[in-house]
Amino acid sequence: MASDESPLDYFGRMVDNCYDYTEAARAEGRPVVGIMCEYTPREVLFAAGAVPVCLCGGANETIPAAEQHLPVNLCPLIKSTFGFHVQRSNPFLEWADLIVAETTCDGKKKMFELMSASRDMYVLELPQKADQPDALAYWTQEVFKLKSTLEKRYHKQITDGDLRAAIKLVNRERSLKRRLANFMAQEIPPLTGRQLLEFKSLISGIEADYRQYERAIRLFESGWAAPGSPLAQKKDPPPIRVLLSGVPNVHGAERILELIESAGAIIVAQENCTGLKPILEDIDPDAPDPIRAIAEKYYHLPCSVMTINARRLETIRELAARFRPQCVIELVWHACLTYDVESGQVRRFVEEELGLPYLKIDTDYSTSDSARLSVRIEALFETVRSRQGRPPSRISA
Amino acid sequence: MIGCGIDAGSRAMKIVLMDAASRSIVATAYADQRPDQDRLAEELLEEALKSGGAKDRDIGRTVGTGYGRQLLSRADTSLTEITCLARGVRNQVPDVQAILDIGGQDSKVIFLDVKGVRDFMMNDRCAAGTGQFLEMTADRLGLSLSELGRSALRSRQPAAINSTCAVFAETEIVSLLASGITPDDLAAGVLRSVAQRTASLAVRRISAPAVFSGGVARIPGMGEILSLALGQDLIIAPEPHFTAARGAAHIACDGLDEP
Repeated sequence: MASDESPLDYFGRMVDNCYDYTEAARAEGRPVVGIMCEYTPREVLFAAGAVPVCLCGGANETIPAAEQHLPVNLCPLIKSTFGFHVQRSNPFLEWADLIVAETTCDGKKKMFELMSASRDMYVLELPQKADQPDALAYWTQEVFKLKSTLEKRYHKQITDGDLRAAIKLVNRERSLKRRLANFMAQEIPPLTGRQLLEFKSLISGIEADYRQYERAIRLFESGWAAPGSPLAQKKDPPPIRVLLSGVPNVHGAERILELIESAGAIIVAQENCTGLKPILEDIDPDAPDPIRAIAEKYYHLPCSVMTINARRLETIRELAARFRPQCVIELVWHACLTYDVESGQVRRFVEEELGLPYLKIDTDYSTSDSARLSVRIEALFETVRSRQGRPPSRISA
Repeated sequence: MIGCGIDAGSRAMKIVLMDAASRSIVATAYADQRPDQDRLAEELLEEALKSGGAKDRDIGRTVGTGYGRQLLSRADTSLTEITCLARGVRNQVPDVQAILDIGGQDSKVIFLDVKGVRDFMMNDRCAAGTGQFLEMTADRLGLSLSELGRSALRSRQPAAINSTCAVFAETEIVSLLASGITPDDLAAGVLRSVAQRTASLAVRRISAPAVFSGGVARIPGMGEILSLALGQDLIIAPEPHFTAARGAAHIACDGLDEP
């Protein structure tokens, strides 16, 4: 290794790294722009010279403050994010000159209204009919309006050249993350799903992060096994391969991944917004209309807010073929209606089309149900092991 | 050799000692849970050994299950109740298709096929569908759990319990009693609401043979009420509260030297 520090140690300091990076960027006069969802096209923010920072809350501690203003029966991600807002305890949010949000779900949309009373907020209207050409045209218009707004706000004309450069930058990030995620396809992966999740940043486009991603890829290619990974432990029987689907596991809210992997399993793929979902598709930097190309990529995100969200099931099918899970666990944050309702379709698809056992977990950021969730998770794995006569290769590639 | 199954449940601890060769039960023991669970397990085990005329050294293997399974220093292995219940029932009803289990603090529906457990659902968030709720009602009416069941069997018109939360259901019970609903109708209404909650857990049709297990299955009349809610006949597991411990004992016996 080039230095004593592993790339995992580097990303263990991710929030500090982002803090230092933001301070330096601000000193150079770059505006910080907060984002709340993977539908926000980071490319347009980069083209405007901004630093896009993810502000999704993953802390249980900020929820009580939020519940003074929001219903208790609301998704913890929304409440946690809003809690940081009322407590003014997220430095990145406090630094944000502007927040770019979108109408991804009703809970978020109404929370943004409350937030916008005291912060500058720009909301993109996301249409929700997945395969409607008019809807994509409308969304393209929304992305174009975002570009114009940023141009006015930051007195900068955003050229096609700026957009193409930003597309290349984020393509590089997506490609690096995909290459890392692909190590999980190995029979005995050299890292855990929880460790793979560590390779992330609140801020996209940090060159130092990219160099660490590249370094990690070289290390894994040369046979390095992250401590505690299946390749390092060589346990017999090997851990159960799990595909995790559903809601995102944002920074601080990794409890479910830890519960799953501590029960003798490995999460080989995450079909969610903190996993593979947003990085599967790139954008053609040479497309004739870069705004349209950007809009199209983002519109393809298979979020449960879309109707009909057939692309999600296809994504699960592709990931199952590539990562060969032995079961699928779906995580639904409590009161996330769209994922909750859609879970019935996912269950049927997983059981009937993929022939795999399925478990849904409905929970929030508190740890009060960890023991009870462990019973379900362990029972699922006991079931998978006892039925191992069934080859996971039943999934058609 | 003897296989030992310990079910450290949320409300009670159950122990089954089983002869590995004949798979017959040597002894059972039962006690309410205590904070010092490990000590309780030792005391209960001693009691079971004594009543079965066996020695500690005869125990070849111990399998722990239940919510306290990770905290039993006695256990060589720990497995979830789902696996142990399935094993406990399959040994008696080999072609069982579904198990409905209602315990002190949760309820479960387990679907099985020839290979064993296929799928399961659990209600572990809400006391209104569990034995705890029945205990609370019995307490309120000044009855034991079996008296609650017998009282329900006398009802001609079960009361409708609408609350979806055990705490608010208690308020509802008080006001129903005040409005002149008879204790029999109230008892029947509460039993029916627990049955309906369990039935609603099942994401697919329950087919026969289906088995009802768990402590709540001991309450007279509960089997009929649950079977009505499901639209399916149910077999009540023998000594239903020992089902998981019996399954754990079977698993403990697997692989022990047979004479």
